[in-house]
Amino acid sequence: MTPHPLLDHLKQLPAADKRLLLAFFGAGLVTLALGVLAGAGTALVRAGLIDPAPYFGYRLMTMHGINIFFYWLYFAQAGLLLAFSATHAAHARHMEWRRLAWLGYAAMVAGFVLSQVGAASGVPLLYDAPPELARFASAAVGSIYLGYLSLALGLFCVAVSAVASVVLPRFAGRTVSLSPIGFASIAWAGLLMVSALAAVNAFLPAALWAFEKGPLPEDYATGWHVLFHNMHYLPLMATVVTWYVLVKALFGIESIFGPRFSKIVFSTYLIFVPPTSLYHMFLEPGLAEPVRVVGSLLSLFISVPTVLVFLIIVASLETHARAHGASGLFGWIRMLPWRNPVMAAVGMAVVNLAAGGALSFVLIQEKLAPLLSDTFFVPGYFHFLTVGTVTLTFLGALCYLIPGLTGRPLWNPRLLAGLPYLATAGLALFGTAGVIAGYLGAPRRVLDLSYAGDAPASWQVLMGVVGTGGMLMAIALILYILALAVTFLKRAPQAAALDFGLPGWNLAGAVPARELAWTGPLSILILVGTMALFTVVAFEMIKAAPLAAIGSGAH
Amino acid sequence: MKQDFSLLVIVAVVWAVLALLYATVPMFHMPGYAAVWGLGAVVFLALAAAIAAASRRERKRHEHHGEASHE
Amino acid sequence: MKEHSSPPPSHFTTRRGFIVAAGFGVVSLYGLWAAYGAAPLRLKAHDEDAAPDHMGGHGGHGRARGPDVDAFRRQTEEFIEANKLPDGSVRPARGNAALLAATEKAHHALHDPEQREKLALPTAAQNAGKRAANAPDVYLAAYQWGFLPAVLRLDAGVPYRFHMMAVDVTHGASLRVGRGGHIIRLRAGTLVERELRFTRPGEYLVYCTIYCGMLHDRMQGKIIVA
Repeated sequence: MTPHPLLDHLKQLPAADKRLLLAFFGAGLVTLALGVLAGAGTALVRAGLIDPAPYFGYRLMTMHGINIFFYWLYFAQAGLLLAFSATHAAHARHMEWRRLAWLGYAAMVAGFVLSQVGAASGVPLLYDAPPELARFASAAVGSIYLGYLSLALGLFCVAVSAVASVVLPRFAGRTVSLSPIGFASIAWAGLLMVSALAAVNAFLPAALWAFEKGPLPEDYATGWHVLFHNMHYLPLMATVVTWYVLVKALFGIESIFGPRFSKIVFSTYLIFVPPTSLYHMFLEPGLAEPVRVVGSLLSLFISVPTVLVFLIIVASLETHARAHGASGLFGWIRMLPWRNPVMAAVGMAVVNLAAGGALSFVLIQEKLAPLLSDTFFVPGYFHFLTVGTVTLTFLGALCYLIPGLTGRPLWNPRLLAGLPYLATAGLALFGTAGVIAGYLGAPRRVLDLSYAGDAPASWQVLMGVVGTGGMLMAIALILYILALAVTFLKRAPQAAALDFGLPGWNLAGAVPARELAWTGPLSILILVGTMALFTVVAFEMIKAAPLAAIGSGAH
Repeated sequence: MKQDFSLLVIVAVVWAVLALLYATVPMFHMPGYAAVWGLGAVVFLALAAAIAAASRRERKRHEHHGEASHE
Repeated sequence: MKEHSSPPPSHFTTRRGFIVAAGFGVVSLYGLWAAYGAAPLRLKAHDEDAAPDHMGGHGGHGRARGPDVDAFRRQTEEFIEANKLPDGSVRPARGNAALLAATEKAHHALHDPEQREKLALPTAAQNAGKRAANAPDVYLAAYQWGFLPAVLRLDAGVPYRFHMMAVDVTHGASLRVGRGGHIIRLRAGTLVERELRFTRPGEYLVYCTIYCGMLHDRMQGKIIVA
């Protein structure tokens, strides 16, 4: 692996900072483990391999959603944000306002405990927890909302601490300008703060109702959708910022387009968040048709920031690789250090992003919402993103950060380099079968799809494949967690070399002159073609359906 | 730092405009959206202000060092 | 004298403008949407005499106040009482809708605009208006955990005006039609009205697509189209 200032900075952080970062990553791995086990259980129930009481199946589904979507993704993000903000402000040597970050950690852990209590008792509400489903106010229901509110408070505190880590060195004259990652950290922290406020907007009225201090919220769904949209963007933004950091760590290079361009691209995440939010609500009765149409149009821009970052990274890698002797259209990809667990994770994350991204664009067309929106198409596609892109990227980063913080070498890097492929294989089965099931009308959030024999037999067959894919994913993720836990816990001699002997490819130094970069644009062509294909399938299915739906209205 | 400040201000303006849209245009009337985007605009303005304050402090420090070196 | 040579021009694939253009490339999907008539800018001229749009979405009701849950329950029970069959299924009365459907079928059989004008057959727009006025009403209530009525018997080719409401919590009254589904989301206490016409006979599963509690996956009904 290329020696890189990031590893240096991580090693030089004060012990107290390291303890805090490891606390976040440790909590993240615990919540990931719980979420994965609950998800595996849900997959087995849906595949018909285990048959628990109905409440238990939905309780597993609730714990899966809460632990993955809220706690794993956000403990990991908190740790990564603090790590990057502390190490990417030039001349920064420590975290600022560490006590505030610890307070944030405590609030997030308290939230986690409260949410588990809520999920384990009362009516299973799934992770979106609509209060109307609980029917009656109770402390059990209230603990879910309190848990989310505590998580929101914690994230707000963490975000403020991260901003302080980036900005305060400037006040002290220790830094001249913000690096692209420094700026991205501020943008990311800002979006976290907004999401925390959105969580209060969504969950405070529900919490007050649950503890009989307020009425049943009238429009919980809208508050949820606003929060949900922010929570879609945050992990993606975190993922691409992490790619930036890891590419520099693996190859020693930065964007060939310069820091100013990178900052503009990072800010597009924030510019495109609000206008692209309406697609979550296409099926809501009473949503005016012009709003649906405009929402669809604006949602076309939803992937622009991520695509731009992908193009920047790929073009920068490709030109540097060609300058170092790579040839042929895709020869440079073969030369990448795939035996490095970090490279394998990021590489597969990009592949899964293409799959998930192409499928997601079917859902932003409002005319296709009645075909797909509440079907298994939705989990079919989004697991490519949450597991295949975001989680693999975060775990790849931990393969770098945990050794960097502890000074201990990564345990079994060969195993870790193979796990992204196992996870992707599981995803391919889960996602493909799930998407096909969705096209065929199979609903999501249903444990038994037989409908007393009235449902097509294909639904059950496809759920079997979904279950198999889910188990492969679960095995890969559990092995990841175990390997990282062993790395952290096993007493091993401090590694002398910062790079821990992992393969790398030092591309620093060469300035590409008139090098070309075809991989990015060709990938976009393939992506758009794939999006078009999935969209055409959906439109043709609607046209062929023996149903004409004319005029709609809600009162 | 000027670019950092400008980008965050642009973000705040976009969020504020959208908040206004959701709050005032009957077809888009969704108070929850308006509140969150409006608060978001405030957050990003605050971040822009923090960056601007840091830049001003840096400029003053340079001026001070410049004067000191001439003495 | 030292000459300053300008740096070699970069390949177009590494220019910022090209990257930005490629980044916005996904927006080109709009063209496909327009080709399917699913975008504000249509590539095909709208044909007034064409068959009703299968994509749906033509106008809608104004935002008048609808019945509350109790009133809707009563309307549904009255509808069931007025139209139920001995086997418990419900078959709504057809009214003038069948006559209009037959007229429209004849209209489409004549491709010559002059012939259509000579016979003074109504346009599709006029038919749509008449259909709205004459389509038989169907009431469908979604509750924990079933649909009322559980089994509907309808006729193919006849437009029906569905009045739907979730009477306790949010449900989906979704139909498995053809190879895929048609999802209708029902918020508790909100009346949703939609004109639906089944074009082929068959048995169509009605199922809930919004998690609504413990027996969510037992919530089902059926529409039998003859």
